Amino acid sequence: MFPGGRTTGALGAASGILLLLPLLGLDPFLLDVLTVGFLLAVFAGSWDLVGGVAGQISLGHALFFGSATYACAILTSLYRWPFPAAAAVALLFSGAVGAAAGALASRLRGPFVALFTLALGELAHEVALGQAFFSPKEGYSWGGEGGIPVSLPWVEASPWAGYYAALLFLVLSAFAMLRIARSRQGLLWTAIAGSELNAQASGVDVVRHKRRAFLASALFAGAAGVGFAAHVGRATAADFSIELSFQAATCAAIGGRGTVAGPVLAALLLHALFQGAGLPPATRVLLYAAALLATLRFFPRGVAGTLRERARSRKMVS
Amino acid sequence: MAGLLRVEDIRKSFGPTRVLVGVTFDVGAREVVGLFGPNGSGKTTLANIVSGLVPPDGGRILFDGRDITPLPMDARYRAGVARTFQIPDPYPSLTVVESIRVALLCGRESCRKRFGMKDSSPEPAPTRWEEELESILVRTGLFAQRFWPAAKLSQGCLRRLEFARAISCRPRLVILDEVFSALSAKDESELALLMRSLHRKEGISFLLVSHNPLILEELCDRVVAIEDGCVIWEGTPKDLAKHVPAANHAHDSG
Repeated sequence: MFPGGRTTGALGAASGILLLLPLLGLDPFLLDVLTVGFLLAVFAGSWDLVGGVAGQISLGHALFFGSATYACAILTSLYRWPFPAAAAVALLFSGAVGAAAGALASRLRGPFVALFTLALGELAHEVALGQAFFSPKEGYSWGGEGGIPVSLPWVEASPWAGYYAALLFLVLSAFAMLRIARSRQGLLWTAIAGSELNAQASGVDVVRHKRRAFLASALFAGAAGVGFAAHVGRATAADFSIELSFQAATCAAIGGRGTVAGPVLAALLLHALFQGAGLPPATRVLLYAAALLATLRFFPRGVAGTLRERARSRKMVS
Repeated sequence: MAGLLRVEDIRKSFGPTRVLVGVTFDVGAREVVGLFGPNGSGKTTLANIVSGLVPPDGGRILFDGRDITPLPMDARYRAGVARTFQIPDPYPSLTVVESIRVALLCGRESCRKRFGMKDSSPEPAPTRWEEELESILVRTGLFAQRFWPAAKLSQGCLRRLEFARAISCRPRLVILDEVFSALSAKDESELALLMRSLHRKEGISFLLVSHNPLILEELCDRVVAIEDGCVIWEGTPKDLAKHVPAANHAHDSG
């Protein structure tokens, strides 16, 4: 028996549809919305590794995303690094930021993890807003609200190439994150999320495994950030914003914390729906909140989480 | 008797309250020692200190001749000192099998180290792994509930799950904190049988913390009585009521 057969099937079907969608003749705007949606879906999945599977509610998850976009921008535009090298270093950098945040947060518990990560994220956001970067070559400074451009090797990428690259990235990342969540490491994280006391009494080095959760999660969030930098071509302070962090947490709660597939699909679907309809940001925030409330009314543990629980009770009876 | 566990001059205060003032006792290999005391005597604090959940203010804990005082609870588990909790705190979303697997994953690694096997030795074949899991399920009587989420288990099954977790590291000492309290008579006697068979067949030593002298009399080789944070008496269980007034009261009311 393969416990995740249905989840894998759902993800496979979804990616199959997405593979064919552009052939139906989507306009470039919708293509762009979906491309960003793929990246945000990976970001929501990465949130779920630490916030859902390992149960460490991170409310400053944009920190890892923004670390990657800013590293890409600063290295390519200010230091004239080629993009691939900058992307690799940016990924490592967000991993390092994740390891550092994890080293501090893993000593904390429950709401303190949320408060601490929230503060870290906001700190980075403020720094990004206030910091100016002077480029001696160009003779003017970057930073602040407008951000820093990412110098890319291509001038005008075809929206199709971006779409398919991001879709491939999403499929590979979702697969990898699901594998991790169902591995032994994932089992230990789930145990920690359930009861730290019981985990400790079962020989689990809780602090070490929480640190690992932050590291793994930050690496995937950073990868999404690198993808975003490559797609948008600019790193802005919004990459560190609280809205981005909350969006990932909200999508995870709607999709089902700890299931990875749920948050990934919820993030993609909601982004495509709200952004695709061309709604203004304030309306989108309200709709995310409404979607969260509506889901929690009928699926208290998120859509995928509640479905999984029901399947389990059925198995218990038989 | 060769001491397996030595608790030496353990002191602990919470704020101005002195809970333990220099507690010293031993647990021998293959011995069942009862820790008796009325409510508030410091039994559970002592169990928490011996299992590594709470650090003592002073004193040492020696296990198998090694000073384990600085080790946290998870490291002590891997070293072969397991415990159960008075109020089980299971992983609500994990099934019984998964809960035990967590303990096996961490306990197994340490077993290899403890028995001097190379750390790089290959993992035991999956079938052996599953066999061990199954044997734990059968021994603790949880086989029928193995796919149940822990959140749906009865009190009796939760205590069994505590036992299952405790024996997954193949421990040499298990600390049972009030494991028989608030159970039905049937569950209580079944758990007592389980404890006896683990003691007899696997040679596990037990430190049985209880406020119930009848249970200690039935199961222990030796009883240590504490009151107000000190050891007030130590001896065979049948003499407990004679020497410790608190045990007498419990006898009367029980």
